Amino acid sequence: MSNPALALTSVSKTFGGVKAVSNVSLQVEPGERRVIIGPNGAGKTSLFHCISGALHTTSGVIKCFGEDITHLAEADRTQRGVGRTFQISSVFADLTVLENIALAVLGIQKKKWNLWTPVKNLNGLRDKANEQLDLVGLPNKENALVKSLSYGERRQLELVLALVNGPRLLLLDEPCAGLSPAERQRLFGIIQKLPRSITMLMIEHDMDIALGLADRVTVLHRGEMILEGSAQEVRINPQVREVYFGQV
Amino acid sequence: MKKTSHIAFVLLVIALILPQLASTYWVTLITQVFIFGMLALSADLLLGNAGLFSLCHAAFFAVAAYATAILQVRYGWVCVWAASAGIFSGTLLGCIYGLSVRTRGVYFILVTLAMGYIIWGVGYRWTALTGGDSGITNVPAPGIGAFQIENANQFYYLVLAVVVIVVFAYQKLVQSPFGLALRGIKSGEPRMHSLGFRPARHLYLAFVTSSFMASLAGVLYVYLNRFVNPVTASLHNNVEAILMAIVGGSGTLLGPFVGAAMVLGLRNWVSTFFEMHLAIMGLVFIAVVIWAPGGVIGQLQRIVERKNSEGQS
Amino acid sequence: MPMNSFILQTFNGISYAALLFLLASGFTLTFGLMRIVNMAHGAYYLLGGYIGLSVAKATGNFGFALIAGGVAAALLGFMADKVLIKRAGDNHLSQVLITVGLAYVVGDVTLKIWGGDALKLPVPIWLRGVVELPGGIVYPIFRFFLTVIGVVVALLLWLLYRKTQIGAAIRAGVDDREMVSATGIHVDRLFVIVSALASFLAGFSGVLGGAFLTVYPGAEWEILVFALVVVIVGGLGSLEGAMIGALIVGLLDAYGRWLVPEMSYFVLFGPMAVLLLFRPRGLFGTANMT
Repeated sequence: MSNPALALTSVSKTFGGVKAVSNVSLQVEPGERRVIIGPNGAGKTSLFHCISGALHTTSGVIKCFGEDITHLAEADRTQRGVGRTFQISSVFADLTVLENIALAVLGIQKKKWNLWTPVKNLNGLRDKANEQLDLVGLPNKENALVKSLSYGERRQLELVLALVNGPRLLLLDEPCAGLSPAERQRLFGIIQKLPRSITMLMIEHDMDIALGLADRVTVLHRGEMILEGSAQEVRINPQVREVYFGQV
Repeated sequence: MKKTSHIAFVLLVIALILPQLASTYWVTLITQVFIFGMLALSADLLLGNAGLFSLCHAAFFAVAAYATAILQVRYGWVCVWAASAGIFSGTLLGCIYGLSVRTRGVYFILVTLAMGYIIWGVGYRWTALTGGDSGITNVPAPGIGAFQIENANQFYYLVLAVVVIVVFAYQKLVQSPFGLALRGIKSGEPRMHSLGFRPARHLYLAFVTSSFMASLAGVLYVYLNRFVNPVTASLHNNVEAILMAIVGGSGTLLGPFVGAAMVLGLRNWVSTFFEMHLAIMGLVFIAVVIWAPGGVIGQLQRIVERKNSEGQS
Repeated sequence: MPMNSFILQTFNGISYAALLFLLASGFTLTFGLMRIVNMAHGAYYLLGGYIGLSVAKATGNFGFALIAGGVAAALLGFMADKVLIKRAGDNHLSQVLITVGLAYVVGDVTLKIWGGDALKLPVPIWLRGVVELPGGIVYPIFRFFLTVIGVVVALLLWLLYRKTQIGAAIRAGVDDREMVSATGIHVDRLFVIVSALASFLAGFSGVLGGAFLTVYPGAEWEILVFALVVVIVGGLGSLEGAMIGALIVGLLDAYGRWLVPEMSYFVLFGPMAVLLLFRPRGLFGTANMT
């Protein structure tokens, strides 16, 4: 009986009077691809913030591979193998691509306290960086300032930052948002090929992409989970149709 | 990269032969530039890298100066021990004041302003300890055992040696993972949390390190001046420390020293023939903001970059 | 005996609080609405004091001096906003640098014109002298006058802030700048009004300060620091905060000097630093003011 990769029990997050996340319980098995869908304002990103630790839950329990992480700080969760991308590009615009990747690599290492060695000389860093950059299709860009990259390239870098440390649990928040169809295809292709050693949760607006990738789908509406099932089940469910196309 | 090390080498050579060519007036002035440049560099460790604008670095400078002076003049401690205690005192204050890294932005500016004022107030009011307005005078020349510093040139070389070591270590620090983490915090603190960093810890260490540098400068200062008074910890001095870095070029190695040269040069040289040197300095600050936000070094870098891209096209 | 000293110091604190409020109210509204850190605010105070001094000497009329001081500062503030502060944009660093530069220039120019001595503003006869209070306490009339002015201005500002449309617009702007522009209110005009009012008050308080503290080079920095403490304690952007903050600072300063003169700055700045560490927004400020 192995532990689920992620287990949420009655998780809620309230801001002032608003319940952004309301009593959500779900379980994601190791290696699973779970897609979270729901209309705007359904609480998807807030849920991700609760899982990654960017926000403290108001109530409920979060367990990651059996360990209770409910009260752990965001940095500590990353140390335990949680990786995440953000809906709004949050790479370091003033730094170079290599420096961005270096920070991601150093984030979970004691080497971040090194006061002496120039970053570019760190053992194995450039190799690792180039390997990742080749993977996402950004070869030879290590010295470019992120400021000079196109939006699509920044989204690719965003993915690299989340992947470079080999996370156990990967949270992708609309990774393809704002990309052209070709870029979307390419990025989505990379995501699909990721190994099953990484458990994946993805927020996605595009139903086709979502349903193409997902093992299971969770539907959120107004902070609550209204349905969970296989891609096929969700696609034909009338309640989901109403939530998306009917009155909100 | 090669060009900068050539420039550094040339500057070092000039610095080494300067006392043989220039009068005592200039040697003393350049010594002051080194000392205040180090103070400005200490403040710029926080500003240029982590984006934190501190108005209290002259407090560490002053505490180190006062501690050294009091121990040597009033209690007869030997230079080596007095100086060490001075550096220790300033750094200890830095460990306490380092709590200020819990705040950001304008609040950090205001907290450090208040903290700087406390030290000035203590220097000014706690007369029994600090001598009040008159401060501590008659600080003897520095020396170890039989080897005493006897003139301006010898002191100049001592200060130059310290500056070279400090600048070398600073360069290493800034290029290291720790330095990169500071720049990451400045560029996107929320993302740093999600990458596994605890920004407050890095900022605290940076703060304490910068207070150590400022203390070192403060000890050298009291041996140069042979006295210290509350003006050393004044708001004016605190403001100047960081403004020197900005005017010279924040985030660069030479910027704080260039800024110190400009400010001290203005004060010492301009004031001999024109009495409104503070107004001139004010105009320089205004000019920097409007026309040269990267400071002197920043402007030079832009000119070089433009020449480079012109050369390519 | 101690009771009399206590009452005396309390009055001292309250009258100083009145002066601080006049200066701090402008600073806090300027920051709250426009997110501008204006380190030249003390220089406005100084200029107002010196201009007021010259006008008082020339006309013998204290009222003219008060207006002249305020107007001079308002003019300087207006020019500074248009020509200088605008160039600094949203960058607090640049704002500090450029306004400190301005303050240095004003300081040197006033030094050249009025000299380095501490000058006392001539005050009308009915404001000179002392008043005797029950218990044998003797207190300067001017300080009472100052307190009354402070209370009156505080009341007027409060009415403007809470009960008028302009006030509502300012409050909305402090809360959410972008929202206000979206509602069609002329944000630029609002900024100009608030900024002019702030600098007028600074100059006005300079004349008052000059009458009982004297005007001298360096006064602009001393008073600025106290005004900053008021604004921090009260909360950046809060008018009520400036009132309460001024009272706290004025009283702490007075009691501190009386009871522990050697540590009086510590008594004042210590709690402020601690407050900032644990509650950066002060007593009445709203969160997220960076």
